[in-house]
Formats: sequence, structure tokens, C-alpha cells
Amino acid sequence: MASASICCDAVSKRFGRTEAVAPFSATLAAGQTTALVGPSGCGKSTILRMIAGLEAPDTGTIRLGGESPKDLARRGALAMAFQDPSLLPWRTVRSNIALGAWLARRPAGNLDALISMVGLDGFADHRPAELSGGMRQRAAIARALISDPEVLLLDEPFGAVDMITRSRLNAELPPLWRARNATSVLVTHSVQEAVLIADRIIVLSPRPARIVADLPVDPACRDAGQDPGTPVFHDMTGKVLAALEGSM
Amino acid sequence: MTRLRRLAGVLAGLIIWEAVARGLPGSVLISGPVPMALHFYEHAGLITRAALETTSNAVPGFFWGNLVAVALAALVVVVPRTERVVAALALLVFCIPLIASGPILRVLYGPGDGPQIALAALAVYYTTFLAMLVGLRAVPQSWTDLMAVYGRGRFDTLIRVRARASLPYLFVGLQIAAPAAFLGAMIGEFTGAERGLGVLTLRAMRGLQIDATWTLATLTAVIAMIAYRFFGWLGQKLVGYRPVILLSAPGAKTARSLPARAAELVGITLLVLILWQVLMDGFGLNAFFAKRPADVALFLADAANREVLLSALGETLSFTLPGYLAGLLLGAGLAVLLVLSPPLSRAAMPVAIALRAVPIITTAPLLVLAFGRGAAGTVIIVAVMIFFPTLVACLQGLRQTPGQIFDVFNSYGAGRFRLLSAAQIPAMLPAFFASARMAVPSALLAVTTTEWLATGRGIGVLMALTSSTSNYNMLWSCVVALSVVAVIFYALVAMCERAVLRVYASEQVA
Ligand SMILES: Nc1ncnc2c1ncn2[C@@H]1O[C@H](COP(=O)(O)OP(=O)(O)OP(=O)(O)O)[C@@H](O)[C@H]1O
Ligand SMILES: [Mg+2]
Repeated sequence: MASASICCDAVSKRFGRTEAVAPFSATLAAGQTTALVGPSGCGKSTILRMIAGLEAPDTGTIRLGGESPKDLARRGALAMAFQDPSLLPWRTVRSNIALGAWLARRPAGNLDALISMVGLDGFADHRPAELSGGMRQRAAIARALISDPEVLLLDEPFGAVDMITRSRLNAELPPLWRARNATSVLVTHSVQEAVLIADRIIVLSPRPARIVADLPVDPACRDAGQDPGTPVFHDMTGKVLAALEGSM
Repeated sequence: MTRLRRLAGVLAGLIIWEAVARGLPGSVLISGPVPMALHFYEHAGLITRAALETTSNAVPGFFWGNLVAVALAALVVVVPRTERVVAALALLVFCIPLIASGPILRVLYGPGDGPQIALAALAVYYTTFLAMLVGLRAVPQSWTDLMAVYGRGRFDTLIRVRARASLPYLFVGLQIAAPAAFLGAMIGEFTGAERGLGVLTLRAMRGLQIDATWTLATLTAVIAMIAYRFFGWLGQKLVGYRPVILLSAPGAKTARSLPARAAELVGITLLVLILWQVLMDGFGLNAFFAKRPADVALFLADAANREVLLSALGETLSFTLPGYLAGLLLGAGLAVLLVLSPPLSRAAMPVAIALRAVPIITTAPLLVLAFGRGAAGTVIIVAVMIFFPTLVACLQGLRQTPGQIFDVFNSYGAGRFRLLSAAQIPAMLPAFFASARMAVPSALLAVTTTEWLATGRGIGVLMALTSSTSNYNMLWSCVVALSVVAVIFYALVAMCERAVLRVYASEQVA
């Protein structure tokens, strides 16, 4: 599936008296994974929601491969995973995942293969209440992937699970969306997660969000994998942390 | 074991009842289980046929009322712009006492089951509408976001997400609606049907047949409770969990300027008048009995007519207000007392919930027999009518106090009284006011029905007289007057609610 680049051109947003996002411009290359990191409340989710077309920017424009977010959404080429997995409790895992394909008006051909790829073998007929938090997140990611989206938006999808589960999900799930070549944006609080998953990290200032650093990530960091002690990984997290602290 | 104990409790209750019925000096007025059983046995065929007749009207009314309620709630959720108008109209229709719409429907329909079915529908649609409105909206934002991310609109969200998520709320609504539909059908029968439990009740009461009246009232209560239990069971079976819903009117939470509210009031009033005219003309209803707004205005322009109407209305209100206040205060007061003893309140809850389902109004003849045709009987009926729903709502409200708040208070060693006054009663207030608002139409219904059935006073009997003497101008004027009073009454309660909640529960007022 061809993927779409994301172009934000001077988008801003305020909620009443709160200026959530100052004019924000960035072009995210097709097929890349970009992480947005920044202090809590700085406007990360708002940026993501504007890219998803859930929130209209006050000024500026967003184009996804030349289309508006709404157009892309109507084509079923957009998918999003939220901090809470937001599975429908009355549907089984399988049917929750299949919902992603139905919503996008696309066939759910490789459903069982996908279920097994996200590590939910044997749980397809369980309901969300019978799953652990990590398993729910796996299902939520699978629901987002089933439609083969061109743009994949992830708002702290691993925020609600413990550290060990989180690092397992970090290792297992991102390769799936990389393989599909989706243009992905990941909002996260974890610098290590950003370094591990992303091709590029955009560090944001406290509210209203402005870009304070825009750092490419050395692919060697990903290979360094789970070991934060590796020099290249250590350097990268150091740079991001310095930018974060400098901004506050 | 518990089952045996419950059975023993019921038996003991019956024996005490029988003893009281025989032993009290007022025993002429109270029937006991034995004479009631005998009466039922003697007239089993007649009573069963009547019960079936009433049920056969309640069921279609239940169906249509709930269907309309669900459709209206869905409309409001899919097209939020319609909320103000739909909610206002729904509330207005809800405020018209059934006993007032009954005679009107009777003259419009002529003989037959139409009015009973329509009244059963009218008796149920509003609570289901409110429950569904809460239910359809009770979905996390991320679910609606999920739909939007795929370019799916409100309609798909309604079908795929909201409909299923609202099921538990639907069942709470249906459960409240089941006894109400039965009550509606009976009130329809009071206003001039040929068959049914309502007709038998009317006859028994007019003939001062104590055993018959008691038997019918008890039977009605039992049927209502069975219907209530059945939908509770069905809901438990099908959707498992039962949410606690505050049935508060929609749209009440947003503050608006006074001119905006005034404009809305004028707009809604105009809309109602137009709808009224259009409906009468559209169905080509005979102007002799289907009066139009202009007819009523002309009629009320005559001071003599106004005089008659207002004095009857005044009498009615003089019964309504004390009963309304007494019912609310006793209900809330008992809830507070009960909460001081958690085991007692746990035991009281199911009893109160069961008694809430009883259509108290069908016992009106008995209470009038017992307390006389004066103010006391009517006031007591109103108070009883409002008491149980208020008690249940307040008990539920008191339980809403978050656990951490208890912990905070306990960590300071705060006593029972401080906890109650600073944490629990404020937590109860939203529930209290929600039931105070819903009690307004109930109170008016109770008074007018009692007047119609038993006391021969006030606007209730004026309606009964005018509908039997074909004074349709006066009948329609009575209905208009009652509706206006109900709406004003309701608005006053809502104003108190806003003022109090602004101080004690500011997060609820927005
Ligand atoms: N719907 C809304 N209405 C009003 N204010 C909002 C709304 N959404 C966000 N805000 C405000 O905008 C600012 C940015 O919020 P946003 O959720 O984008 O932050 P965030 O960076 O995602 O924070 P976190 O890391 O805590 O999730 C906050 O001050 C928040 O209060
Ligand atoms: Mg956020």
C-alpha cells in the first residue's frame, strides 16, 4: 500500500482561553515513524487529533498526501490507536479487530494471521474484559492495522501498561506497522520508547506546543534494541532528554 | 433458608394484615387477605377477564410509547440541534396529567381501546426517553473518535456503538415503564371504557364495596410488581449490569441568558399552538369536540368561565402543594435516616423499589374511604405517590458518595453527622431534585385522578363533569390550564435546583 506524507502548515488551536498549539509546521515523510514527545499538557494529543481530522485547526492546513484528513478518513486510509484501547466490550477480540476493516470498508482477509502476529493466538473468541491490559493494546493495534492504513496515528498506545509489558509491546508491534509502510505518528511520554520505535523525534515545548528539537534517529538504535546501555542508544536518549529539559 | 425466611415474613405480614382488618375500629374500611381471597374466588372469571383486558391495552401502549421514546432519543443524538425542541415538547406532553388527556382522547377516539392504549403509551414514553438519552450518550469519547477516524458519521456510530451501549439503560427504562403502562391503561379506563380493571375499580368504589376495591387494588399492585420484576430479570439476563440513572431532563445543564430563554419559551409556545391547530385540522376533527386554540382563548375571555376554572384550579393546587412537599420531605428524610444505619438501608432499598412500582393511584379510592373526601385524603395520596420514587432516588443518591470521601472524613475522625451533612447530603441533592422535578406531573396526576374518582372537588371533577355534559370548551380549557400550571411548577422546581446545586454541586450545573 502506498503511504501518504503528512504536511502540517502553521496549524494552531486554542480551547477557549487556552492556547493548546502555537503555529506548528512539519512535514513527515511517507512511510516514516515520527515520535512526538513533550511535557504533559503541551498539546501533543491535540496535534494528533488535528491530523486525524477529529479536531479542526483554528489556522493553517493539514494535508495527508495531498488530501484533507477527512477525505483520507472517508477512504478508510486512516487509523488511530488511543491510550485506552477502546475495544467494544460486547464484541470478541476477533470481531473487535474485524471492526477496523468494516469501518474502513476494506476486506478483513488476513484476520487470523494478524491475530497471531500480534500474539493473541487462542484469545480470538475472548471478550476484552477477559484480557490483560497489554493484550487489549495488542488487539487495539491489530484493529488499527487490519485496514492497512496509509496514515497510522498512535496516542500513547502503551501508556496504560506496566514497564515490562510495554517493552515487549515496543519490540513486537512496531515492526508490524513498519512492514506495512504506513506513515506513523506516535505520541509518547517515554523517551526510550521514542528512540526505540521512531525514525525521527520531534520534541515539543510546554503549552502551547512549539518545536524545540527535530532529531533524526540512527537506525542502529533500533538494532540496539532492548539494551539502553548501548552507546548509540544512550547518546540518542541523552539528546532528546537535553532538548526536553532545555525547553522547560 | 433465605427463601423460607422470606416466605415466613410474607405469611406473618398477611396474618398481621388480617388481624388489623378485623380488629381495628375502622375495620369497615379495611379488607383483609381472607375476605379478599374470597372475593377473588367468587368473581375469578370477571376479574381475570378484566385484568386481561387491561393488560391487552397496556402491552401495545408499552410498545408504542417505548418505541417513540427510543426514536426520539436517537433523533436527538444523531441530530443534536433538535434536542431543545424535542426535549421541550416531550416534557410538555409529559406534564399534561393523564387524567386530563384521557377525556380529550376519549372524545377524539370515541368508544374503544384507543384512549387506554394511548394513555399507556403516554405514561411510559418520557422516562424511557430520558433513560435512552443518557444511555445513547454513555459512550467513551474514544469510541466516537474511532468511528470518526474512519470517516463514519453519527448514524453509523448510533447503530454500531451507541445502540448496543445503551441497552442496559433501555432495560432500566423498560422496567420503570412496565408498571407505568399498566397504570396508564387503567386511567384510560377510568375516563369511560366498558371493560377492564379500571372499570371494575370505579364500580366497586362507587358502590362502596370494600372487599372488591381492596381486591382490585391489590391485584393491580401485584401485576405491576410482576411486570417490574420481569423486566428487571430480563435486563439482568440479557445485558447483565444495571446502571443507576438520574432521570434529569436534558439540556438543563447549560446556562443561558434570560432573553435567550424567554425567546425559546415564546418559540416553543407558538410551536405548540401551531401543532395543536394543525393536528386538529389535519385529521379533520369535528370542531364540536375538537377545540382549537382560538376556541379556548375565546371561551376564557369570558370572565364567568375563567372564574369557574380558576376556583377549581385553586382548590386542586391547595391539595397538591402540601402533598407534594410532604412526599418529597418524607422521602428524602427517611432516606437520610436510613443511611445512618447501613444494614437497614440495604434492607429498605428493595422494599422501596418494589413499592415504587405500585400504581398508588389505584389505591386512591381506599385512601379516600379511609381519610375522607376532605383535604387530608387527597394530600395523603399525593404524598404517598411521590414518597417512594423520592426515597429510592435519594437512597441511590446517598450511595453515590465516592469512597475516597469517606476515607478522607474518617481519617479526620469526623463523626456521622459531619459526614452526612458535608458529604452525603450534598451528594444526594442532584438525585433529590431530579425526582422533585419528575414528581411535579405525578403530583398533579394524583390530585386530579383522586378528584375525578373520589372526592368530587377541584379541576379533576370539573373535567369529569364537562366531559359528561359535552361542555368541551371547558374541558379543553381545563387541560390547557393544568398543562400551564404543570410547566410553571416544573420550571420553578428547576430554578430551585439550579440555585441549590450551584452552591452544593457546582460540577453538575456546568
Ligand atoms: N476538548 C478540550 N477542551 C478544552 N481544553 C482542551 C481540550 N483538549 C485539550 N485541551 C487543553 O489543551 C491543552 C493540550 O492538551 P493535549 O491533550 O493536547 O495535551 P497532551 O500534550 O496530549 O497532554 P498529555 O501528555 O497529558 O496527554 C491542555 O491544556 C488541555 O487542557
Ligand atoms: Mg495526550
